[in-house]
Amino acid sequence: MLETILFAFFALTAIFCALGVVFHKNPVHCALLLVGVLLSLSGLFILLSAQFIAALQVIVYAGAIMVLFLFVLMLLNFRQDPDVLTPGAAKGFGFLFGLLVMVELLWTALSPNGGEGGGLPAAPPLPADFGSPAAIGKILYTTWLFPFEITSILLLVAVVGAVVLAKRKFA
Amino acid sequence: MNSVMPPLVAYQILAAILFTIGVVGVLVRRSALIIFMSIELMLNAVNLSFVAFSRQHGSMDGHIFVFFVMAVAAAEVAIGLAILVAIFRKKETANVDDVHLLKG
Repeated sequence: MLETILFAFFALTAIFCALGVVFHKNPVHCALLLVGVLLSLSGLFILLSAQFIAALQVIVYAGAIMVLFLFVLMLLNFRQDPDVLTPGAAKGFGFLFGLLVMVELLWTALSPNGGEGGGLPAAPPLPADFGSPAAIGKILYTTWLFPFEITSILLLVAVVGAVVLAKRKFA
Repeated sequence: MNSVMPPLVAYQILAAILFTIGVVGVLVRRSALIIFMSIELMLNAVNLSFVAFSRQHGSMDGHIFVFFVMAVAAAEVAIGLAILVAIFRKKETANVDDVHLLKG
C-alpha cells in the first residue's frame, strides 16, 4: 500500500515537472524542473530495489549533468523568449506526432499478451544483494568488462572533443 | 517483497508518458538547450523502463544498461553544450530555426 502511494506521488511529480520542462518560458525554471523529474525517478528506482542506480541518478544526472546545463545557461545569458514554441504548422505536427507516439507506446505497454504471447512470468525471488553496488560491480567487471572499457574511451573522446570545441575560434 | 508492486505495467505507462513529453519537447520547442533537456527526459524514460524490467526479471543486466546510458548521456551533453556554445559565439542565438548553415 505504501509503495502504491509513493509510486503515485513520484509518478505525478515526474509528469508535472516534465510538462513544466517542455512548456515553461524561462530556461532556468526548465532546468530546475528537470531536476525535479530526475529526483522523482530516483525515488522510483529505490521503489524498484535499484539503490545503486538511484544514487547514480542523483550524483551523475541531478549533480553533474544539470550543473553543466545551468553553467551554459548562465554563460550564454539566454533571454526569456516569449515565443517559445515553434510557429505554425510545425507545432501542430509536433503535437500530432507526440500523440501518435503516445498511442503506440501505450498500445505496446497495455497489450495483454506481452508482445510474444503468454504474458510475463511471475517475478522470481530477488537475491538478497539485488541492486547493491557490490553485486552490480561484480557483473560490471566480469560480464560487462569490455563495454565498460569502451565507455571509458567514449568519455575520454567526449572530454577532448568538448575542450577542442570550446577553445576553437570560429571565423 | 517478491511481487513487483505497483505492477510492471504501471511503470511502463509512466515511462511511455515521460518519453512522449520528451518527444513533444524536441518537436515543438525552438531553444536548443530545451531540446537537450527533452532528450534527457526521453533517456530517463527509457532508463525507468530498463530498471522496471530488471526488477520484474530479477536480473541486474538492466541496471548495467542504465549505467551505460548515463555515461553516453554525460558524453552527449558535454559535446552538445560545447557545440551550442560555439554556435552561440558565432551567431548570437540558440534558436534552432536560425541555424541553417547547411541548408541547401
